[in-house]
Amino acid sequence: MISVGIDSGSATTKAVLVIDGRMVTHNIRPTGFDFLSAAKTGYEEALTDAEVNKKDVNGIYATGYGRNSIKFADRAVSEITAHTMGVHHLYPAVNGIIDIGGQDCKVISAVDGRVTDFLMNDKCAAGTGKFLEYTAKALEVPIEELGRLALASKEPASITSMCTVFAESEVISLRARGFKKEDIAAGLIESIARRVAVMVRQVGLKQNVAFVGGVAKNAGIKVFLEKELGVSLYVPPEPQITGALGAALYGISKR
Amino acid sequence: MERKRFNRDRKRFNIFITKHFVEKMTHFETLDYIKNSYNARIRQLTEEKKAGKKIVGTLCLFVPDEIIFAAGADRVILCGGKNDTISIAEQYLPRNICPLVKSSFGSIVNNGCSGVKSCSHFSLIDMIVAENTCDSKKKTYELLGAYVPTYVLDLPQRPDSSAAVQYFLEELNKFKGVMEELTGNKVTPEKLKKEIISSNETRKLLHGLYNLRKSDSPPISGLDLIKVMQKQYVLSAEDFKKALRALIDEAEQVMAGEVDSKADSKADSKANFTRKPRIMISGCPMPGGNTKVPEIIENRGGVIVVEESCTGTRSFWDLVDESKDPMLALAERYIKIPCSCMTPNDRRIDNILELAREFKVDGVVNYTLQFCHGYNIERYKVQQALKNAGIPVLSIETDYGDSDIEQIGLRVDAFMEMLS
Repeated sequence: MISVGIDSGSATTKAVLVIDGRMVTHNIRPTGFDFLSAAKTGYEEALTDAEVNKKDVNGIYATGYGRNSIKFADRAVSEITAHTMGVHHLYPAVNGIIDIGGQDCKVISAVDGRVTDFLMNDKCAAGTGKFLEYTAKALEVPIEELGRLALASKEPASITSMCTVFAESEVISLRARGFKKEDIAAGLIESIARRVAVMVRQVGLKQNVAFVGGVAKNAGIKVFLEKELGVSLYVPPEPQITGALGAALYGISKR
Repeated sequence: MERKRFNRDRKRFNIFITKHFVEKMTHFETLDYIKNSYNARIRQLTEEKKAGKKIVGTLCLFVPDEIIFAAGADRVILCGGKNDTISIAEQYLPRNICPLVKSSFGSIVNNGCSGVKSCSHFSLIDMIVAENTCDSKKKTYELLGAYVPTYVLDLPQRPDSSAAVQYFLEELNKFKGVMEELTGNKVTPEKLKKEIISSNETRKLLHGLYNLRKSDSPPISGLDLIKVMQKQYVLSAEDFKKALRALIDEAEQVMAGEVDSKADSKADSKANFTRKPRIMISGCPMPGGNTKVPEIIENRGGVIVVEESCTGTRSFWDLVDESKDPMLALAERYIKIPCSCMTPNDRRIDNILELAREFKVDGVVNYTLQFCHGYNIERYKVQQALKNAGIPVLSIETDYGDSDIEQIGLRVDAFMEMLS
């Protein structure tokens, strides 16, 4: 049984190929303007990598923001269900998921790989990858460096704006007041961690929580989130692909 | 008479959705009549006005129809569900108040709907009878008087206190006097009794219609039903009743037919039968023009079986006691409407739980309008009560704009997957 999951996200497109319930290959690429062509390229690359012939694929399942534009998929599933199934496959004991992606943030509670409750941020970039991207720019730091930089801070600056645009101006004014780069970075990440922690408490997650999505790649954020929540978080080796993996597995479960 | 449903709105949604949820559902003649009844109603109101009848505009369930009708006036609801007039209202009102208040106010001050069709009733009003419910409405009513004569009915906010009914009764008596003065007609106990019986008939018909939705396969979609409810206070009481009777007849016929066909091919229908999640919408009203969230829910695989809202059960659930003094009976019935501007409002929570059981609800969509503080704060209590009862809840806070259709769609997709 060969199944492909495609997570068409706002920032990146992820493809995962699963054979008999085992992940064989995955790839990640920027989504760019055209959701469909990024998905197609990802799909074809997965086939080449796994040395699988198109006609041997039993199903293609799409998730993510562009899930309904992936015309060649057999079926679409929401990111919430997909992440839950993907994470359950990797960590069967996990019953809570924090997913921070390019343009939204989700907190999910689950039992045995089934969603029982979830919460998403409202239509706003606060507490998402976009927030980090913008504020890192204001700090003139590559986004990959932001987390590492923050870990060096001894005295995080206080960032109070939830709004991405306002936080950007706040960063600039902190710079003007002579704050250290690492302290501003730490302040930014703390502000996201606080916001996510509120959602985590609303959903009622306590233990066995996984942290996925592109933002989970940022080591600093994991540390700050753990401090804020008082629990250690499971982060998969490749936290960006749990949605695509879950979509592939969802397809199998629905056959 | 079967035809493909869910095609009407597919332009706004992805073709993907229709690919998966195209269904055959019965088409009702009466629904066409109700949906197209607006122009006829405008002609009717215009005729009435010419003949000297007064037209009262209302914006809330707390204003009893019975008193207006007993005075020989007609009424039409002014609650706005359209986005178009909001920018007009924002010339006067702050942006961060609820879209319902802004939409209504925009239509009234504009004396119509800025060229938008089906809003001409705003210019036919002789008097607005408003009510002290939420802060946004109260303060907006202070501005309305400059455009249309506006009378504001006061409400006690603690409906369970012993003085509340007495106070509301006094307020209703004052309101009765205002209606008598407006129309020049005396409101007698006999006339009131007659109107109470008539309005109770409407309520009983609505109970009958909602009862049909308790069936395992409801004969009518939630979206269609909401469109019927949106006409409840637009149409004349008699026309609305007539429409309800016809609709119930049609629905009952369909249900009887369905039972037969199922009996014929039991094995077959069982194999094809995938049960849709049964959804209750609870929260803010959905005035005419606003069907965004019900459309998303039913386009994405749910079936709405009951609405706990002012455009749902709150409008008809309780009857007026026909054996009591009419004014007292009205005061007692109306003050119990479980609106979030009342405190405490536990009656609403109890009602939600009761409806969830009666209508065999799988999940509740807690629907609130942006900046509607009452319902937004009450959300926490609703969520807790439903969680304790083991019923999943999805909370959606939105406005009249289309910009969040995809975001809401994702939440609804996930909720449907969670329920099925």
